[in-house]
Order: sequence, then structure tokens, then C-alpha cells
Amino acid sequence: MNGVTKRIRNWLEVRVGLDELLRSNLTDYRVPSNINLFHTLGAVAVVGYLIQVITGICLLIYYIPHADHAFRSVQEIMTRVPYGWLFRQMHVVGSNLLIAAVFVHMVTIFLMGNYKRPRELTWISGGLLMVITLCFGFSGYLLPWTQLSYWATTVATSIPTAFPVVGDFVSRLLRGGSSVTGITLTRFFAVHVSLLPPLFVFLMVVHIALIRRIGLSATPFGRSDEEKRPLTEFRKKLHPDGYPYYPYLLQKQALMGILYFVVMFLVISFAPTFFFPEEATVPADAFKTPESIRPEWYFLAPYQMLKIIPNKFLGISLQIILLAVFIFWPFLDTHKEKNIFKRPVLRGVFIVVMIAMVILMWWGRR
Amino acid sequence: MRRRTFLQSLLAVFGTVSAASFAYPLLRFLAPPADADRDKKFTLAKKDIPIGTSRVVLVNDKPVIVIYEKGKGYIALSSVCTHLGCLVGYEAAKNILVCPCHGGTYDLEGNVLSGPPPRPLSKVPLKVENEQLVIG
Repeated sequence: MNGVTKRIRNWLEVRVGLDELLRSNLTDYRVPSNINLFHTLGAVAVVGYLIQVITGICLLIYYIPHADHAFRSVQEIMTRVPYGWLFRQMHVVGSNLLIAAVFVHMVTIFLMGNYKRPRELTWISGGLLMVITLCFGFSGYLLPWTQLSYWATTVATSIPTAFPVVGDFVSRLLRGGSSVTGITLTRFFAVHVSLLPPLFVFLMVVHIALIRRIGLSATPFGRSDEEKRPLTEFRKKLHPDGYPYYPYLLQKQALMGILYFVVMFLVISFAPTFFFPEEATVPADAFKTPESIRPEWYFLAPYQMLKIIPNKFLGISLQIILLAVFIFWPFLDTHKEKNIFKRPVLRGVFIVVMIAMVILMWWGRR
Repeated sequence: MRRRTFLQSLLAVFGTVSAASFAYPLLRFLAPPADADRDKKFTLAKKDIPIGTSRVVLVNDKPVIVIYEKGKGYIALSSVCTHLGCLVGYEAAKNILVCPCHGGTYDLEGNVLSGPPPRPLSKVPLKVENEQLVIG
């Protein structure tokens, strides 16, 4: 360590107790010895979110949130602004990858049974983070003001009309009028850049604080001592026989973060139009709904459900119930066994739900 | 009443009133003003819609599909699908209206033939005056 670095370190040490701060958060913080790569997916989501923040700020510099200029400003970002295409591609591909990472994270947590007590709140905050991530995707989708984004938003903002009494009011509130117009665009822009980010950060802080406070779950499968003892008092899971967070888990997380970048740049380099169907390059036309309009892959299953369920109220109510079941799952599944291999019914339900989702996505894509 | 209890109650009352007095203007600020009732007519030349074709026009800010069908003559219907708000298109070969979003179909009277739409398309008044179509 050279003189300047040492002086800076000493300066910080006497003011904030740097050594103790690093020790307690990196080397003294123990993680379970059987930790695996699936435990890094939360950190991958944080990396993904940071990429969205940085690229989003870059796009803000050139984007114009006005119905007359939005499409053109996005085209100029793609074609005229130096490396504008790179930041937009990173933002678009990143949004899809982030949703995929959050989804896989939730699925692995489910499979390992780590939503069970005492981690119910961690699961709920994670579920809400996933909902906000989807809201980011939905609100950001309108901003380029393309045919696809215009009509996808028309459909989505019509959904509340399925509910009597308040439905029309909510729909008008979202749109800022009776149909999707420039007013809707500015509303969605405000939500995307100023309402959702602080909400997301707040929930992320709560989520990470809960993980640190309760301690990482030790057992991917089988019942841990936490589940065996009666839950009458708070006891932090310390893992005295585990590994230090640094270097073991932090290096795994860094590796997976790099892998996330690799996948992102593979898509940008070899499939740059993968997330840009033809309608996503045509400016919004309020007089013509395109022949083939489909939402992004992560909304395909609910989209197809709406298509096949003949009653609008029933179709949308069913989706809200499914979302509530997903978020409050820890309170519905109170079985003490964490190992999904010893729970044939739950395993069967999980497989059926996954297959149904894949079929609905494939069907919706056709 | 103890002084502390009184202060806590006062704080609760003032807090609730402050929150409510802010919530109402916020809701009004976000809610769009109601559309004014308008009965402006839209005029279209007959020659602009050849037989077996359709055209979408904006009547009082609402999209309306005007169809010229051989047997039924001129028809005007709201083109907003009653399911989730996409615009229906005229399929001349089958003489039906189709919503491209979720596949709902309607006949030329606006009645639902198939798919998820919960209600028929609303009819829009249309009059033929010489060489003009007056819609609305």
C-alpha cells in the first residue's frame, strides 16, 4: 500500500471505522458452506438494476417525452447520437434480462423452500420488487411511442375497465383521458423515471436488510434448525461454521455479474433486433391497430389467458388472484418440509404451472 | 386527560386532516377532466369509401369505422373493441369486423360473433346527404 492510499485509509479509519466496517460486512459475515451459484441471482438482479439506472440516465439526456418528438428522439439516439444505439440496446436488452434474472431468482428461492418462516417478509418484498420490475417494463414500453408500444398500452390501460364502478375512473387516471395520448406518454414517463425508482430502491433496501438481519438460509433442501424449533423469538442465523462472505460468495456474485454482461453483449452483438419486432420501429398511429400485436415475452402468458378466457372480468380477476397467491405464498404453504422432492403434490403443482406458462407463452407468441 | 395523551390525540387529528387535505387535491390533480359532451358532425365524401372498403375517422375524438357494404350500404360503428380498446378492422371477404389484439369478431351490426368482447360495438348515427356522409 503506497503512502497516499495509506493516508486516505487512515483518514477514513479514524472517522468511520473503516476496518471494522469492512470486517463485519465482508470477512466476519459468514454464509452457509453449502452455498451455490443460485444464491448469487439476487446480486445479479442488483447489477442488472444498476445497468438500467446508468443507461436510463444516458437516454434521458436525448429523449424528449412528447408525443410529437418521442419517436424521432429515440430514432436519433439510435442513429445519430454517438454510441446512442449502445446505451439504448443495453437498456432494452437489460430490461428483458433483468426480468428474466428476477424470475429465475424467485423460482430458485421457491424450489429451495427459502420463502418459509422466518423469511416470509423477504419473499413478499422480493415479490413486490418483481412487480415493480414489471411496472418498469410496462411504463418504459410506451416511451418510444411506436405502434407496438401505443397499442400494448391501450390494451393494458383498458384492463381496469373490467371492474365495475371504479374501473373507468382508474383507466382514465392511467391514461389522463379517455384514450392513450401525449398526456399518457408524459404520465408514464413521470412514473418510469421518478415514481418507480425510489419505490424500487426502498424495497430493495428492505429486502437486503431482511436478508442480512435474518441471515442466509443454510439448507437448500431438507429442514433446517430454524424450521425445527418453535418460532417464539428472533434468532439470527449466523453460520459460525460457514465461509466468509468475502471472498467466497462475493467472487461468485462478481462472476455471475460478468456472465450477465456477457449474455447482454451476445444478444446486442448477434441478435440486435431480437427485442425489436417490426411494429417497434413504426411510429404510433392512433387510427390503426397493427395486425400482429403481441406484448413482451414476460406478458405473453397473461395476454394469452385474456385471449382464451371469454369473460373479461373473470380473466383479469383470475390473474389478480394468481398474483396475490404468488406474493402471499409463504402464508398459504405452511408445511414444515422444505425439500420439494419430499412433497409430490407441491412438485406436481410447480411442474404444471411451469408447463402451463410455457404453453401460454408459446401460444401467445404464435 | 393527561397532557401527553392530549398531545398524541391532537397530533393524530392534525396528521389525518393534513394528509386528507393533501390527498384530495392530489387525486383531483391526477384525474383528467371529464370529456365535454360534444355533438360535432364529421363529413366524408362518398367517393372516399369505395364499395367493400372501410375507413376510420375521428368523430368527437372517438374513432369510428365507416364501412360501405354492397347489401347494407353505409354503416358507422365505434371502432373501439369493447374488450380492451384496440381498433377493429373490416374483413371484407367474410363481412365481419375483427379485433387484431385478442381475436374478437363482430358482425356489421356491431354484434359480438366470437371471442372475448363483452358488449357489441356502439352504433354511430350516419346520414347520406347528396354526395356526403354525415357521421355523428
